[in-house]
Amino acid sequence: MSRDRISRREFMKRAAALGLSAYGLSRLGVFGAAEGGASAEAASGATLVVASNRPPAQLVRAAVQGLGGMQRFVSSGDSVLVKPNIGWARRPEQGATTNPEIVAEVVRLCLQAGASQVKVMDHAVDRPDALLLRMTGIGPAAQAAGATVRMASSQAMYQSMSLPRGRVLRTTQVLRDLQRADVFINVPVAKVHGSTGLTLGCKNLMGVVWDRGAWHGSESLDQCLADFAAHVRPDLVILDAVRTLMSNGPKGPGRLEEPGLVVAGSDPLAVDSYGATLFGRRGDQVGHLTRAHALGVGEIDLERVRIQRV
Amino acid sequence: MLLFAFAAYPLKSPIPVDLFLRADPLIALSAMVSLRQLVFPLVWFALPLVVLGLLMGRAFCGWICPMGTAIDLSERVLGIRGRRPDRAPQWRRVKFYLLAALVVTMLIPAAHRSAEELALSESVGLSAVYLLDPIALLTRTFALAVLPAVQWLLVLASDTATMWAYTDFAEAHPWVLRLLDPVQLGLGTVARPVYFRLGLVAFAMFGGMVALGGLARRFWCRNLCPLGALFAILGKASPISLAVSDKCTRCLQCVNECKVGAITEDPHEYRAAECIHCYSCLAVCPEQAISLTVRGEATGRKDELELSRRRVLQATGLGLVAAVLPKVGWGARRSEAGVLKISGAKLIRPPGARAEDAFVTACVRCGECMKVCPTNALQPALGEGGLEALGTPILVPRIGPCTEPCNLCGQVCPTRAIEPFEIEEKRHLYLGTAMIDRSQCLAWAADRLCLVCDEACSYDAISQVTIDGVDRPLVNDRICVGCGICERVCPVQPQGAIHVYATGDKRDWGREAQRAWREAVEQEGASGSPYPGV
Repeated sequence: MSRDRISRREFMKRAAALGLSAYGLSRLGVFGAAEGGASAEAASGATLVVASNRPPAQLVRAAVQGLGGMQRFVSSGDSVLVKPNIGWARRPEQGATTNPEIVAEVVRLCLQAGASQVKVMDHAVDRPDALLLRMTGIGPAAQAAGATVRMASSQAMYQSMSLPRGRVLRTTQVLRDLQRADVFINVPVAKVHGSTGLTLGCKNLMGVVWDRGAWHGSESLDQCLADFAAHVRPDLVILDAVRTLMSNGPKGPGRLEEPGLVVAGSDPLAVDSYGATLFGRRGDQVGHLTRAHALGVGEIDLERVRIQRV
Repeated sequence: MLLFAFAAYPLKSPIPVDLFLRADPLIALSAMVSLRQLVFPLVWFALPLVVLGLLMGRAFCGWICPMGTAIDLSERVLGIRGRRPDRAPQWRRVKFYLLAALVVTMLIPAAHRSAEELALSESVGLSAVYLLDPIALLTRTFALAVLPAVQWLLVLASDTATMWAYTDFAEAHPWVLRLLDPVQLGLGTVARPVYFRLGLVAFAMFGGMVALGGLARRFWCRNLCPLGALFAILGKASPISLAVSDKCTRCLQCVNECKVGAITEDPHEYRAAECIHCYSCLAVCPEQAISLTVRGEATGRKDELELSRRRVLQATGLGLVAAVLPKVGWGARRSEAGVLKISGAKLIRPPGARAEDAFVTACVRCGECMKVCPTNALQPALGEGGLEALGTPILVPRIGPCTEPCNLCGQVCPTRAIEPFEIEEKRHLYLGTAMIDRSQCLAWAADRLCLVCDEACSYDAISQVTIDGVDRPLVNDRICVGCGICERVCPVQPQGAIHVYATGDKRDWGREAQRAWREAVEQEGASGSPYPGV
């Protein structure tokens, strides 16, 4: 752990303070400043690891190993929030939700790195929660791996958060567990999406928000996603591309492909840009990713990203 | 009552959650007489209680009936003491007249039909048993009022614990966190409160029944309950009797103690049909003068029901009025040319529901389906289906959708008004059709990036069309089954911009025709009309 790491809670506080006081910093990127080196890393080329040719759990292990191991992200005693996609009442093989073996492996790696607690949470669209957890397989798998699994279905679990640099979205209610976690790991599944073209890491963040309907009703859903990504930055993104839903996303049923990949990185935009290539697109052809890039969320040009294949 | 709480997702009670309802001979009688057919699960389930009735009359009322238990408990807890002895014992006959009126309603045809239509129709009778059957009344009270209140408190507790868990103190002390975790407190599955229309009405009916206890103990049971009347009739020739010996001092303690006023002013006589076999009289008698005997040796036994022929005729008239009123008043439904017309645009029935007439006839409004529905989507109908459908379940999508991988309502329905169905069948059980209100829709009216209805659709019935560079949703009305998830998730507040209407309801086709139609739709693709002669 060579970087000057701070807790997520502290990071949020500083981010809010900086955002309110230092307008001039916005060009440089408040979060880059607060994280002490993230933007420098992006400029010098972010790192992605793309793992293939293994069973799902080993894909995760190999990808995280390639990034320097989970201990680079999780320190002893940390509280970790893992956010998979548990949004739909679909079975894992339908490709609408994150692969349960991948979620379980992320949990195990965090615990092995010394995490004091790993929470697996999502705010689903379908109901009921008990059915979602069982049907997606994530409930039992993550629990067996040692996580606390909770569906974020009560408004009591959310707290208002201001997004000072948001262009459309200025405030939204965000899962308290995220705001209090030391480490936040985003574990999306790669799919096509009706409203936003693709759903990858940035879109998966919508599952830590209470009132998502307001985003759709806003001036621009794409800009809301970008605004949110500019303020809530996962420490690590692990993209499940073992099965990708190629049509009728995000819920399906649709046509599936099996790239058999896991993509991991700490630059959320670089991960999403790589994810877009699995659907024959570039990151700058996806509305919300382009807008996120404009806000300095990360690197959208894969030419400038170091991609390590394992 | 405990059993009833088990009726929740996931359904895994070892015994049927609707055991009492299924075993209720009055419900079985009503369902079969009004439907003019034998419903075998009901026959088998009701048989034990019929036998019990033949042997011991109203023993069910004293030992088994959950309503009797609830009334006894309420009277004790609330300190309600009926006047003793009962000052109006003749009222006990009312329950027989009510039973007679109910039977008449079952016999009256529910709709005008030609002979040809009658031959086609699977249902002709009307059922009003839901108004008076104690098991249905109690289950409904629990489903619509008591359990939601309990759940609301649990949600409150759960949310409070959740808020406390987010404090620094709790986070610093893992044992506090564990203590505040709703799941570990057993509250995890009640994250959302449930609510029902008519919940207060159901509770008021129960409250009224308890309050009548102020006039006489178990006023409902002794004077009004038609199920009790049915058991009384069955038990007219029961072999088990009470006998009073010469030790009796006429202290009348047994007369005062009898919960249902079965013992006459002369304690040597009792109305055998009314006795609920609770044996309080045996326990209270200071001389131990009362004993159980077999029939022949009992001398004080009165088997006569003492009904008035004129009153029975009046009851018949009452039944006739009850059957006809819904036909001429507010919300009346009409049947025309063999095709069922439905009165309400929002009359969306659960999947597996029989065609409307048969459904309304068979449904006893017990509330089991509403209780078990995991999304709170099933609600008692108000006026959507006419007066005779009051309180029957309808899907209110804005509250919750008929979630795709669920078939619980069909599993718990005691009368098969909702017939059991497989989850795979739901793609061709057409409840209605979703329609987009383009004047409200974010995409159509405001050019916003919103296809939430398309995203959430479980059946791929919503597609998109790009007009002026903006994607806008379209419903394929031949695939849409009307589950209502689109209406539920539509972000337009408060009313939503996509609504399910009863338009596409195809229940009267029968399941096989619906399945065939759906298959034809798939084969023909997006164009062509696969309507089989309709």
